[in-house]
Amino acid sequence: MLLMVGGVFAVLSPRFLTPGNLLNVCTSASVVAIVGLGMTLAIASGNFDLSVGSTAAFAGCVTVSLVQQIGVALAILAGLATGATVGLINGLIVTELGVPAFIATLGMLTIVRGAALIYTGGRDIYLYGQTQYKILSSGLTPVLLALALAIVLWFVLQHTRFGRHILATGSNAMSARRVGVRTSLVLLGVFSIVGAAAALSGLILSAQVLTGNGRLATGLELSAIAVVVLGGTPLTGGQASIAGTLQGSVLVAVINNGLNLLNVSIFYQNVTLGLLLLGAIALEALRTDRRRTKQLTTR
Amino acid sequence: MRILQTHKSRIPDAPATGSPINQVDWDLLWERFGTTVVTITIWFIAGLSTPGFANVDNFVSVLRQSAFVGVSAVGMTFAIIAGTFDLSVGSTQALCAWVAVSVAKVAGVFPAFVTAVALGGVIGLCNGSLVALVRIPAFIATLGTMFLINGLTYIVTNGQTARFSGKPFVWWGNAQVMNLPVPFVVFLGCALLGAAILYRTSFGRFIYAIGCNREAANVAGVPVAKTTTLVFVVVGLFTGLGAMLLGARLYSAGPGLEPGFELNVIATVVLGGTRLAGGRGSMLGTVAAAILFATLANVLNLNHVDAFVQRVVVGLVLLLALSVEGVRQRLAEYWSKRVARIPQSSQPLRGDQL
Repeated sequence: MLLMVGGVFAVLSPRFLTPGNLLNVCTSASVVAIVGLGMTLAIASGNFDLSVGSTAAFAGCVTVSLVQQIGVALAILAGLATGATVGLINGLIVTELGVPAFIATLGMLTIVRGAALIYTGGRDIYLYGQTQYKILSSGLTPVLLALALAIVLWFVLQHTRFGRHILATGSNAMSARRVGVRTSLVLLGVFSIVGAAAALSGLILSAQVLTGNGRLATGLELSAIAVVVLGGTPLTGGQASIAGTLQGSVLVAVINNGLNLLNVSIFYQNVTLGLLLLGAIALEALRTDRRRTKQLTTR
Repeated sequence: MRILQTHKSRIPDAPATGSPINQVDWDLLWERFGTTVVTITIWFIAGLSTPGFANVDNFVSVLRQSAFVGVSAVGMTFAIIAGTFDLSVGSTQALCAWVAVSVAKVAGVFPAFVTAVALGGVIGLCNGSLVALVRIPAFIATLGTMFLINGLTYIVTNGQTARFSGKPFVWWGNAQVMNLPVPFVVFLGCALLGAAILYRTSFGRFIYAIGCNREAANVAGVPVAKTTTLVFVVVGLFTGLGAMLLGARLYSAGPGLEPGFELNVIATVVLGGTRLAGGRGSMLGTVAAAILFATLANVLNLNHVDAFVQRVVVGLVLLLALSVEGVRQRLAEYWSKRVARIPQSSQPLRGDQL
């Protein structure tokens, strides 16, 4: 599918296959992919995180404001810690207060967005001449970060106890608890990872423009979920496809980039994303439907 | 009314605590009337502490403000009770509002009303078919149509805002009838209609049944696919109506009308005590929650609270309201464990023994 779309654009537009353009595609794909990878974990554990867009903005602002004072490396760590803390709070609300993840993270979406705007006072924080921070978004760094995160998360899901516990919690939280999985701890871990991943993509976004802005990454949460679903991770939990999420984010980035090169109005990008999402899932739903009827008839 | 309940079987997760027969069920009470009580309390406190709150003009503006989210929330209450929800209402609202304003400009108020509501209904029908017939999970289906309609709105409007300030049209958004703002009257009418459908028709009972247990409803002969489709049509119809009111209020409408509207609507319904898992919920709660959100915004504005801080407060209120039950259950669990250490003369009744 991805190769097909890429091939079509390569034929239609001579500029598509230039190295510079492909780098653009990969950079924009990796920002969504990083959030999407975290979200894959959340969805595999049977939850959502709607607060990722706000978390990305908040972490970006925190880091940008600290770069001047404590240096780039520490500021980046502080940003990631901010994200993980927001994620931890999400997890605590879900596990300790018994609020459904959808509502808990919906509440946190407005709260964290408000916090980011209060922190910046609604103004932009500029970083003049901080070229060191720019490293985060220049060249292949975002792509490498996304790939590294993907490999780590894949390893965690496939080869560690924590990963198996995530999938067990997602497929049936009650049974997982009965067989001794400490589901609350698992969820706290998952939400912290999602928060840190969101923060990382927020840092990349803010490094691209060397600006901290409280309104950064609005609506990122729904694009991230769309990418995960497009990659074949079912919303019911218990299964995860890390490679699928990567492919999904590259596919969306390729299509958006291709449409731009072909001078198609930016308005059509949302239409294609919607159609793509519905088409992919409808195919999937029809296929499982047929399988189910076949099972019924053979039985 | 199941306020005086006999056993705790409705939460399968909960341990069978030894709750005596005829004990008041605080969870259910809180769920049914919590929001209403909180809203009234806030009105009292605000009336005493905030100068400028307790006067007719201000009440009118609060009630008017509650209507625009409220009308859509009436429809969303149906969807959430049925165990689904609709993320596309924000996009639908923008498209319908633009269509309403444009049609009002050329054809008048009544055609504008009809087209906006009908368009909402058609969009709802599409959503419903995707969910009920193609069997795409509601979250993904309406997420897809959300992007789709959002893009379509930009294409159709070319990114431009439509404006119209004809008297008969803007009357619907700005006028008052007997000191009550027109949008609020429409909102109340919608809520009454919605309550009548939910509580007094077989369609309403089917919705509760599907929300409680889809499979069981199907086995019992409830037309699940048809009812689910109709639920989405209802959401679309109410959203179309609310969109027309908002267009009339603003004298204009364009794409990107109200970002995050869908999440506001869902938050309102859930704050009103409707369970996101489906099967339980009330129209009174939705009305109270819509007024509560409008009141909060108004009181914070009157106290010169920063707009950014307001977002934090709104999120906190949502989280607080929804964690009350969890916290109470935790305390009860803890308490019953302590009581259990003391030897009891009577055996606690389990749910399956009753």
